[in-house]
Amino acid sequence: MLFSDRSLWTMAHGIVLGGAALMGLAAALFTLYARASKELAASDGRESRALAVLNVFTAVALWLTVIVGTYFVFPPYRATPPEGLTDLSQFPRSLIQANPDTVWLHAFAMETKEHAPWIAAMLATAVAFISVRHGLKLRTDPSLRAMTATLVAICFVLVAFASLLGIFVNKVAPLQ
Amino acid sequence: MADTMRTEDSPNGSAMASILAAGIGAMAMGLIVILNEAGVIAAPALYGPAGGVTGRTTFATVAWLIAWGVLHTRWKNRDIAPRHIYPVSLVLIVLGIIGTLPPIWGLL
Repeated sequence: MLFSDRSLWTMAHGIVLGGAALMGLAAALFTLYARASKELAASDGRESRALAVLNVFTAVALWLTVIVGTYFVFPPYRATPPEGLTDLSQFPRSLIQANPDTVWLHAFAMETKEHAPWIAAMLATAVAFISVRHGLKLRTDPSLRAMTATLVAICFVLVAFASLLGIFVNKVAPLQ
Repeated sequence: MADTMRTEDSPNGSAMASILAAGIGAMAMGLIVILNEAGVIAAPALYGPAGGVTGRTTFATVAWLIAWGVLHTRWKNRDIAPRHIYPVSLVLIVLGIIGTLPPIWGLL
């Protein structure tokens, strides 16, 4: 088999779900920014519904990303190798911690990835709720639009940073 | 989705509730992680193979949902002035994020 189950879960977590969330956040940020123009602010409800669909999609993708990451990808990453095993390639955390140059990939990168993305999922859910429930107000209320755009921007930075750290970890100690 | 979208003049309370609740959820996450690292609390592993992270993230998520539910119930039919909600929420979010960063744990 070309890819193991562990490898497929990692790809689903990082590329499919995390990638979809990042694209959704970028699109939402652009849309909210573009709405600052009077023409778009006065557009009909279809554009508001499209943004609501996009934000719901993004929030769902983010929740699936963190749930798959925590419950499917993290357990094999942190598995403890049997006593005396010298080939640690199947035990990424132990492999990373065995080399002083890569210890930070667990101590900083993975430890950050364990919690911060959950905050992004909460923020994305709030944005999705506002888009669904207050889509029309979001079109005409500049302060609500700015606050929503700020939440999306924070989300984007968090997810992009976690993704980058994930790439570093997976580059050195991939789940094979 | 069109049926759930309110008019432009509808009360903004539920939007403010979702924003402040997100801040509270973020702060809960940061606080739980900090307290766990300081040894004040020990979040149990709700799923053994994944370890304590399952307890920490689940408790923070539950705190977020409870805060959202309470705020939504109280504010959904009211107009809430955003001038306090926005800055307080942003401060809570930033503090929550800072709490999840390992270099901060080293200061404990």
